[in-house]
Amino acid sequence: MIEIREVTKKFQDKKVYITALKHVSFTIEKGEVLGLLGENGAGKTTLLRTIATLLTPTEGTVSVAGNDTLKNSEEVKKKIGVLFGGETGLYNRLTARENLEYFAKLYGLSKHETKIRIDELAKMFGMKDYLNRKVGGFSKGMRQKVAIARTLIHNPEIILFDEPTTGLDITSSNVFRQLVHQLKREGKTIIFSSHIMEEVTMLCDTVAMMHKGELVHHGSLEDLYKEEGSRDLNYIFMSKLVRGNQQYAKQYI
Amino acid sequence: MLSNIYKKEMKDSFRDRRTLFLTVLLPIVMMTGLVLFYESMASDGSDATFKLAINDTISSSEEALFAGNENIELVKSADPEATLSVGDAQAAIILSTNFMETVQQGEEAKVTLIGDSFSQKSSQLMSLVTNALENYKLSIVSERLKGEGISENLVHPFEVEQQELTEENDGVQLIALLIPMILALAIGIGAGPSASDLFAGEKEKKTMEALLMTPVNRLTLLFAKWMTIASIGAITGIITMVVVALEIMFFTENLKAAVSFGENMYWILGAAIFISIVYAMFIAALLMITSLMGKTIKESQSYSTPVMMIAMFPAMLMSGIGVNEMTFQHFFIPIMNIFSILKELSFGVVNFPHLGIVIGSNLLFMVIAFVIGRIMFMKDKWVMN
Repeated sequence: MIEIREVTKKFQDKKVYITALKHVSFTIEKGEVLGLLGENGAGKTTLLRTIATLLTPTEGTVSVAGNDTLKNSEEVKKKIGVLFGGETGLYNRLTARENLEYFAKLYGLSKHETKIRIDELAKMFGMKDYLNRKVGGFSKGMRQKVAIARTLIHNPEIILFDEPTTGLDITSSNVFRQLVHQLKREGKTIIFSSHIMEEVTMLCDTVAMMHKGELVHHGSLEDLYKEEGSRDLNYIFMSKLVRGNQQYAKQYI
Repeated sequence: MLSNIYKKEMKDSFRDRRTLFLTVLLPIVMMTGLVLFYESMASDGSDATFKLAINDTISSSEEALFAGNENIELVKSADPEATLSVGDAQAAIILSTNFMETVQQGEEAKVTLIGDSFSQKSSQLMSLVTNALENYKLSIVSERLKGEGISENLVHPFEVEQQELTEENDGVQLIALLIPMILALAIGIGAGPSASDLFAGEKEKKTMEALLMTPVNRLTLLFAKWMTIASIGAITGIITMVVVALEIMFFTENLKAAVSFGENMYWILGAAIFISIVYAMFIAALLMITSLMGKTIKESQSYSTPVMMIAMFPAMLMSGIGVNEMTFQHFFIPIMNIFSILKELSFGVVNFPHLGIVIGSNLLFMVIAFVIGRIMFMKDKWVMN
């Protein structure tokens, strides 16, 4: 379970403070798939980075599986796998296997565990043919698969995906969606941010909508549909962002 | 964990062609050029022949003034100055009419020597010609004094004997300048790309976030990265020193003659290698800070350029300071102390207190830079774009 309590995050840009998150609070249950929605700059990535212990909240607390992200960050890191959007975060001069082996070592996996895990992931993502090739020459889709494999190398309980299908072709996007279904079946807790409403509708149990650093909605998709009287998430999203101005939202849909 | 990260960083760095080029190939090419340049500077010109333009109406007795000097070749010309101007000679000499006869008769004679002080060859030739004329002048004065029955001591009351403090070959001064400069350059150039890649590069490629998401302690990550930069710097420094030593041994005469450390040779070589490692550790800590400051490799390189340039200043400052003139400050101030201690070692002096000050100072400033780097590495602002 992830508990986000009154989290505020401020960044200092020279003498000006920018508030990226404003008193955000919500809870994500174990095994839940949550879609994080919001425009660019809404605070989605900041929130994911804060949950992932990469950023320290200015105010408030985040607890992951009972561990405070500040006080017990190492335990939190062992339980979380993160993939940040648009960036694969791989070492180009290393092979796919070397990348995975390196991160397995950093997560404390034994050689035997690493070998089994890499074989599993290679099979899952169809990477066997290029596992021993340097990542520098890979296509975006291939890189994304290796990056997802790296995210899952330590078999984390909680997985954070930040716009994971950005720039991917249809095939790779579908592979990702199947993966989320599979991870959900395995009981993993998943948070992913996305601009693709169809993807969110297809994969998520709950959604959290953010606007200018504030949480404007959190709840199940079904409740949201009932509340808004529509099953069109695009429409609901626009409507929520302009604070109930449904007429305005309709112009965009 | 530290060794795992270190091994990976080293493997990754050495797979980078740019690192390989800058660590191995560039220092070899650059140092070869520098060694050959210094070898030519160390040459005293005793084997060289210089062309002196002289009027073609020169008498045999006038020609005899320079006949004893094998380094001077006379080029007869109707217009010696023009011959010099077109580059057919390195200097020109114009003697007044009937020069020898006029001098013998004790009348006023004149010599005009034309040359180019900016040219090393021309300067050397002018010096040779001036010496030949001075000798002739002294012999004339001596003859005249004898003719008058006056002792030479009247115009030559005492002898000046000039002695050098050390018996070192002149070339050692150049070695003392060359080795630290090569080392400072090589270590900076070798470690620079890795430093930029390991922090700014990881931020740019977003691998830093993936790395920071692992349960590995940040200090361990920082230490492994610093060790990688220091190792690459030290490897570059040592490779460069070996290459320079081999080149001096096999391709130079004057510089080779200057390097004779006798019994102290192994101490000096050991100390030089140890100092290279300590200096690489210090430079690695500085480059780590400049890389942390940069959001991209390019930005990091902009920050590290002044560090590389600062490393060259002591070469100029130290060139005019004798080994016996160096004080505590010379051995304590970082970067300058590398030039000081290597100068001392080049002169065959192994002074353990000085070695201790240099090593201690580098370690002290390295720790300060490392602590600054650690503070930066713990802050979100410096590790994430």
